[in-house]
Amino acid sequence: MAEHDRESDDELLLRLHSGDEQAFAALYRRRQAAIYRYALNMSGSAAVAEDVLQEVFMVLIREGCGYDPERGALSAYLFGIARKLLLRHFERIRGNVPIDDEDAGSVMLELAVDGNQLSDLARSEGIAALRRAVQALPRRYREVVVLCDLEELDYADAAHALGCPVGTVRSRLHRARALLLEKMQGEAGPRRAGALNPIRCSI
Amino acid sequence: MTCQEFWDSMPELAPDGAPELGEHLRGCPACVAVLARQRQVAAGLRGLAAESRRVQAPARLEGRLMAAFRGEGGMTEIPLRARWWSPVAAWVAAAALITAAALLSLRSREAQPLPATAPQMAAVDWTFGLAIEDAGGGTEEGEFIALPNAEQLPPPAQVNMVRVELPRSAMISLGYDVKAEEAGEMVEADIVLGSDGLARAVRFLN
Repeated sequence: MAEHDRESDDELLLRLHSGDEQAFAALYRRRQAAIYRYALNMSGSAAVAEDVLQEVFMVLIREGCGYDPERGALSAYLFGIARKLLLRHFERIRGNVPIDDEDAGSVMLELAVDGNQLSDLARSEGIAALRRAVQALPRRYREVVVLCDLEELDYADAAHALGCPVGTVRSRLHRARALLLEKMQGEAGPRRAGALNPIRCSI
Repeated sequence: MTCQEFWDSMPELAPDGAPELGEHLRGCPACVAVLARQRQVAAGLRGLAAESRRVQAPARLEGRLMAAFRGEGGMTEIPLRARWWSPVAAWVAAAALITAAALLSLRSREAQPLPATAPQMAAVDWTFGLAIEDAGGGTEEGEFIALPNAEQLPPPAQVNMVRVELPRSAMISLGYDVKAEEAGEMVEADIVLGSDGLARAVRFLN
């Protein structure tokens, strides 16, 4: 095992800032895949994910990058930078649609999965359907699923990355799981019940 | 505990066998069934996570970042990949120019309507649901690359392809390495335009 494999992220960062190229390489190799996958899952674009990852590590290279180990783990800090870059990207291309626009992904959600795929989750077809359902979640729910379920961050680190309380992470994850279950069961109609406005009529 | 109170406690996020869940579940088969389905989803997410572990960033990025790290003092001179947040607008403008250029027949050929669902098409990028017929023009033609803004556009009912000339510098925003002395050269490219006139993808020739 190489020496840097035994070092913590914080130790590698310290050496990185003293100019140690091997420390930078070790930290990059340790963290690149998760950040890249997060950006890819959130943007759906390999090009955007690559640029986000690049910029995340460019921030890290710069002196005074703003990381405070007292506030959370370095990995959570890196996810947080990636998230800010993605928000900037979304705002630029979508005319400032905020990330907490709850209905942003609802149309995509309706199109994500056909029929009851719940029983197929042990097979590749079911996993593919689940991936589509995750990618079609509204962004605020997708990001907690990606961070907590796919990248296996604990709730505290996810909260640090998202800049919100742990309770918010849990409640969003709760809602996200419910949406995924609804979609995988194929129970959702062409419109969500909440989107229907009852009107009074006479026959 | 009512069913509502039970679900408000977010039991699907609790570890298996958590004692506080047992009491309600013993008397509520409906919640038992829903919780079992929730755990199927959770297991599926673990499978998806395991499958996703194979996804890594492109290897070229490490080289670029290492170069940036070595030249930290002169960061602006390091040939990093161009940022997407500024070229998006540039590509939109470029698409408009390209459309105008095509209409003016400046070294363009007649637009070729291509049904997006035609058989024997090579996929461009699954995220856009867009498919492009391979023109079959030989080995000098590369693959189509989705433009940075294309994923935000609705899939077009029909696409057109126009051949244009672009400054080589336009390739930078798509990740190509372009030498400074060659940035002003013109290169031929095929642009895929949706029926709305917006560019979706590009491929550079030779």
